[in-house]
Amino acid sequence: MVGSIMVVGGGIAGMQASLDLADSGFRVYLVDKAPTIGGVMAQLDKTFPTLDCSMCIMAPKLVATGRHHNIHLLTNAVITNVEGTPGNFTVTVTMKPRYVNAEKCTGCGLCAQYCPVEAVNEYDERLTLRRGIYVDYPQAVPLVYAIDREKCIGCGLCENICQAEAIEYHQTPEEEQVNVGAIILAAGFDEFEPDTKKEYGYGRFKNVVTATEFERILSASGPFAGHVVRPSDGEVPGRIAFLQCVGSRDENSNKYCSAVCCMYATKEAIIAKEHNPDLEATIFFMDMRTYGKGFEQFYKRAQSEYGLRYTRSRVPCIEADPETQNLLLTYETEDGTITKEEFDMVVLSVGLEPPKSNQELSSIFGVPLNEYGFLDWKIFEPLKAKDGIYACGAFSGPKDIPDTVAQASGAAAMASGVVSGERGTLVEEKVYPEELDVAEQPPRIGVFVCWCGINIGGIVNVPEVMEYASTLPNVVFVDQNLYTCSQDTQEKIKQAVEEHSLNRVVVASCTPRTHEPLFQSTIREAGLNPYLFEMTNIRDQCSWVHMHTPEEATEKAKDLVRMAVAKSNLLEPLKSSSVEVTQSGLVIGGGIAGMTAALGLAQQGFTVHLVEKEDHLGGLLRDIRYTVSGEDPQEYLTGLEQSLRDHPNVTIHTQAVVEKVEGYVGNFTTTLSSGEEINHGICVIAVGGQEHKPTSYLYGEDKRVITQLEFEDMLSKGVKAKTVVMINCVESRDDTKEYCSRVCCSEAVKNALQLREQNPDATIYILYRDMRTYAFREQYYDKAREAGVVFMRYDPETKPRLEKKDKSLVLYAHDSALDLDFELHPDLVVLSTGVSPYDNSALSQMLKVPLDRDGFFLEAHMKLRPVDFATDGVFMAGLAHSPKFIDETISQAFGTVARACTIVSKERIETEPIIAEVDEELCCGCQVCIPMCPYNARELDEEEKIVKVNEVLCKGCGSCVAACPSKAAQQRHFRDSQLSSMIEAFVRR
Amino acid sequence: MDKLKFAFYWAASCGGCEIAVLDIDEKILNVVEKADIVFWPVALDTKYKDVEAFQDKYIDVCFFNGAIRTSEHEEMAHLLRAKSKTLVAFGACACFGGIPGLANVSDRDEIFDLVYRELPSVSNPDKTTPQLTYTAPEGELTLPQFFDTVKALHQVCDVDYFLPGCPPTPEMIEQAVTAIFEGTLPSKGSTLAPEKALCEECPLEIQEKKIPFIKRPYQVTPDGKRCLLEQGVICMGINTRAGCGARCIKANMPCRGCMGPTPEVADQGAKLVSAIASILGVEGEERMTEKEIEALIAQIKDPLGTFYRYTLPISLLRRKVIKK
Amino acid sequence: MYEPKIIGFLCNWCSYAAADLAGTSRIQYPSNMRAIRVMCSSRVDPEHVLRAFVNGADGVLIAGCHPGDCHYISGNYKTERKYVLLREMLEQFGIDPRRLRLEWCSSAEGGKFAQVVTEMTEELKTLGPIELGAGD
Repeated sequence: MVGSIMVVGGGIAGMQASLDLADSGFRVYLVDKAPTIGGVMAQLDKTFPTLDCSMCIMAPKLVATGRHHNIHLLTNAVITNVEGTPGNFTVTVTMKPRYVNAEKCTGCGLCAQYCPVEAVNEYDERLTLRRGIYVDYPQAVPLVYAIDREKCIGCGLCENICQAEAIEYHQTPEEEQVNVGAIILAAGFDEFEPDTKKEYGYGRFKNVVTATEFERILSASGPFAGHVVRPSDGEVPGRIAFLQCVGSRDENSNKYCSAVCCMYATKEAIIAKEHNPDLEATIFFMDMRTYGKGFEQFYKRAQSEYGLRYTRSRVPCIEADPETQNLLLTYETEDGTITKEEFDMVVLSVGLEPPKSNQELSSIFGVPLNEYGFLDWKIFEPLKAKDGIYACGAFSGPKDIPDTVAQASGAAAMASGVVSGERGTLVEEKVYPEELDVAEQPPRIGVFVCWCGINIGGIVNVPEVMEYASTLPNVVFVDQNLYTCSQDTQEKIKQAVEEHSLNRVVVASCTPRTHEPLFQSTIREAGLNPYLFEMTNIRDQCSWVHMHTPEEATEKAKDLVRMAVAKSNLLEPLKSSSVEVTQSGLVIGGGIAGMTAALGLAQQGFTVHLVEKEDHLGGLLRDIRYTVSGEDPQEYLTGLEQSLRDHPNVTIHTQAVVEKVEGYVGNFTTTLSSGEEINHGICVIAVGGQEHKPTSYLYGEDKRVITQLEFEDMLSKGVKAKTVVMINCVESRDDTKEYCSRVCCSEAVKNALQLREQNPDATIYILYRDMRTYAFREQYYDKAREAGVVFMRYDPETKPRLEKKDKSLVLYAHDSALDLDFELHPDLVVLSTGVSPYDNSALSQMLKVPLDRDGFFLEAHMKLRPVDFATDGVFMAGLAHSPKFIDETISQAFGTVARACTIVSKERIETEPIIAEVDEELCCGCQVCIPMCPYNARELDEEEKIVKVNEVLCKGCGSCVAACPSKAAQQRHFRDSQLSSMIEAFVRR
Repeated sequence: MDKLKFAFYWAASCGGCEIAVLDIDEKILNVVEKADIVFWPVALDTKYKDVEAFQDKYIDVCFFNGAIRTSEHEEMAHLLRAKSKTLVAFGACACFGGIPGLANVSDRDEIFDLVYRELPSVSNPDKTTPQLTYTAPEGELTLPQFFDTVKALHQVCDVDYFLPGCPPTPEMIEQAVTAIFEGTLPSKGSTLAPEKALCEECPLEIQEKKIPFIKRPYQVTPDGKRCLLEQGVICMGINTRAGCGARCIKANMPCRGCMGPTPEVADQGAKLVSAIASILGVEGEERMTEKEIEALIAQIKDPLGTFYRYTLPISLLRRKVIKK
Repeated sequence: MYEPKIIGFLCNWCSYAAADLAGTSRIQYPSNMRAIRVMCSSRVDPEHVLRAFVNGADGVLIAGCHPGDCHYISGNYKTERKYVLLREMLEQFGIDPRRLRLEWCSSAEGGKFAQVVTEMTEELKTLGPIELGAGD
């Protein structure tokens, strides 16, 4: 058994899996075929449904992955061979040459400025050009340039200009054998290439673009700097059409639904509209599949607030006006009218395809692919490719970012489960010399000014800045370096600290966002506390942006150095404290989510308490009689329950509810209704949800009107009804429940197919608003249609009406697709009523975690923290979070295991050094700070009547500090005195 | 032991501080027993020239109340500083500029125009305003200069102790005098009041510091139990020094800040802006539009006058910009 | 020629990153601003703004993540309310509220950041040097 894990694919899935694993005691090898990690998310402008800036939310993960000392990046690399068995694989990785020495390259970018070669920029979706030596984007990790040898003319300019001597033309492919215990495949997806769909003229008509191209066009860092213009003439388009299902739900390309396009098209249209309020945006679609958490509300807002036009039609072809390059769409609306309409631009909502490399990955790793070329997985094992090899993200099918991230954590849990006994055996801890005590010493400041090759020195007069720095109070040493970040300079800095007894170090160079940790580590090696360091940015925010005014740039650099030195005088050594962790978990809710999470934690070697309010386990899964793909849920449930009961780490508390929770991450104490007290380090909320009980359609009044779950139960015993009508979206997507319950369309299809099997003569109607059989579920929708199930679409304005006439049921329906009225005489009416949350308010208050407007639990971040709460140490899975399928619930439940392991795998958790603190002599207990904190890190000490900071929970934003009216609160490293010193040093005196 | 020599002076003040001295009631007898009052314009007929005649440091303790509004106040501040061993800034006006300090939103010309020319009750056909000198038949008369800017005492001379309040409470005065007699005064420059803010001694109950709206005191009927700020009334107790016994609060009125800011605060108004804007509308803040935020913040009437009620002259900006 | 002096408080996660991106993209803008990095725009205290004016700043820029994008979930909402109230008070002090500016810059908006500094510099030039206090 080997305590390391390989992750293949460095997109958001691969990064999340790597971070979870590395944070819970495993060495990680993260392999990406590209020169840098980041994947598709790095190309996105914003993310739905919150319209978060994609790079803003992803960059911290990029940096964390790149910096993590237990994550080893193998970029520009492909896997060529795998041998061994679970627990001990040997993987052969071939690193393609990048012709730049990654150790030496500082990422300064000078080479690219001088490179005379132009090449198509794939990152910008071929809309711009890049150089022959390049990185994809400025935030790239690792920030190491690569030479495109296909384009390179070998002129040698880069070699001459690179002062770090990093160019190595003669690199050859290198092979590395990596020994790992388990493997995670997160290879992502490719976009459908619309060239094959000649009818849309992509490639011929300049103003027909793919959605990813449009994403780049929208992006402030994109080809047009965020100005939404069309490629043919740079004009602002007034009319944009989005064509859905290009390369999805299509006999001729991909039959499956790509699951994300309805939302991303809506998002892109909204952003475009924000850029140009006069824009007329039309989305041509078949079914609007806005099924995820918050998606339906987003769709509604798109119409009501942004005025997007949604037209239900599949556009067959596009013509272009050769003069104007405008695009002519001819389409048939549902009522049969043929309409011709002109647009300035067309965006093709291209689907998601398996990466071309999947076949190869499949044969190298010996994992099965399904008919579409994605991983073939099973409903109860959604994350497993085969023993020891797991999968997440779009590798196993199209999915959005939150589902991907939940799966990534889930796959991390499964992979580490294989080698949980090896936890901590291969991780490296850096050993530093003992810290010097400089608290009582007067400041002795050393200032290092960087040339960054000629990036700074070519504009800013570095010797002059250095000379100036030497005149500042308490500065006892100054130096200038060609590259302050290079290895030899680190030695020089250490030497200077020792020789000149420096107790503060200031570096004036590039951005602290990437380089501060390096220098902090250097001075720590020299015995100084890493927080006796201050950095100022005279490159990105000075020499690079004032290239034409070198004197002004020099003056600004001096000012910035003076401000940094002023602050450094007041710097204090910071220590993180640590608190002991109760290395066990509490799982609330004994359904499939809770059971999976509990067993997962137990298998990782931690004790778990599972609390269930009923006298039995199983939750809602007990009511699921069969799956659409033919598995037996009850058999699975019995097996799972047995494994739980057999596991020595699991204690099951049935007929128990949580009455009181005290404490915080690492140290919770929960009191159950039985009076029992449980100490635990983390908590998983898996309280589930329930089938909504309707009040309409004679439900409860007539026994022939039932819900889908009731019908499922009936089906398990045999149904004789001849005419069955199912009505979808009952009390969903309306005023009763604004959200879409995600599962009902597929449940209806499943039950319809089951009925068809039992009773081939039955007439089955499904009355729906949009069929939301997303991803591979589309195949069952196809199958149901083939099986003669009648699908009839209704609009919310013309809802079906059910009446009872002389004991028989009469259903009046208006088929909106055909614009015809029907009168049906069902024997049975089955209502798809959706999922409702339980009343979660008490639990929400006890654990201090929020609910969303619909009453489900609200995650820390819709996109990137789907199973976390803002409050550390509390996680969620399953229907407690939002309606979802069994496989999604299982993925999430495993996701909580990995997230929990990042805490319970540690004996102690360290606090952040930069956090808030309270001067107890000044705090009057006014409690203004308490509502400031989104992490519940502010608590009133009832006895002392002052508010304290929970150092474990505080993330160090400083919100409470600014709000504290008497300055009893201070933020370490950003104290008032420290910030004021910079403000006071702002003007040269 | 020789009796100590006390002096009292009033600059730009309302006279309340003088009354406050008497408010210590019969304890004044203890004071008189141990100290002689050598200068007290409100009660004794001592002339400035008498003070000038004192030897330097003749006075043991001078209690100086009122802000520096005119050149006379400033001259007297310098004079009394020279003649006193210990100079105490007595009351909010001397400590921070106080209510007269609010005049720093205006200047001499504006004030003179208003007071001597524009007010409806004024009859001044020649539009005369006070001049520094006037030659009368009897000779030249002089008036003190009326400054543009009101100052606190320590902004014109060195101050040993600060005894804040509008006026300082009898208990605080008594404590200060006792400390003087017993020689237990803290280090020079200290404020003779607690370091914590008023919430420390406020009897009202704090539930949750989230306020959905701001109300003027007359718009609410305080329930007498819950924190006034939490009821939407701007109460400055959150960063105003304790020591007053929360007298206003006990009368169902919010703290207006007369004890001045807590020690670390450099600018009481700015800190109140920070605190109150932070908690105002915090519930549901993520759903609030820009317009709604503006409307909510607009519920705070006259932020400058409210948040710097007693401390404008010692604030970072000190006064409104005079456009000349 | 008069060159205004600007202090910019930039949040670590979005606006400081935007300023960095302006650099990597070599977008040129006037050199009048000096940045002070804070973890979150909500750390900026109105007292800092006043202190900046008192210490010679002609303008103060506070830049944070777009509403909804705050790295700390909700810090920037507080920043906005503080800013609105402070602006109103600055006006009472006779300081042109245009001297204080709040801007949202995502880490992808290097261009916007450069534009904000450019615009602000131009605007401050028309306003002229800051005048404080004065009078005897």
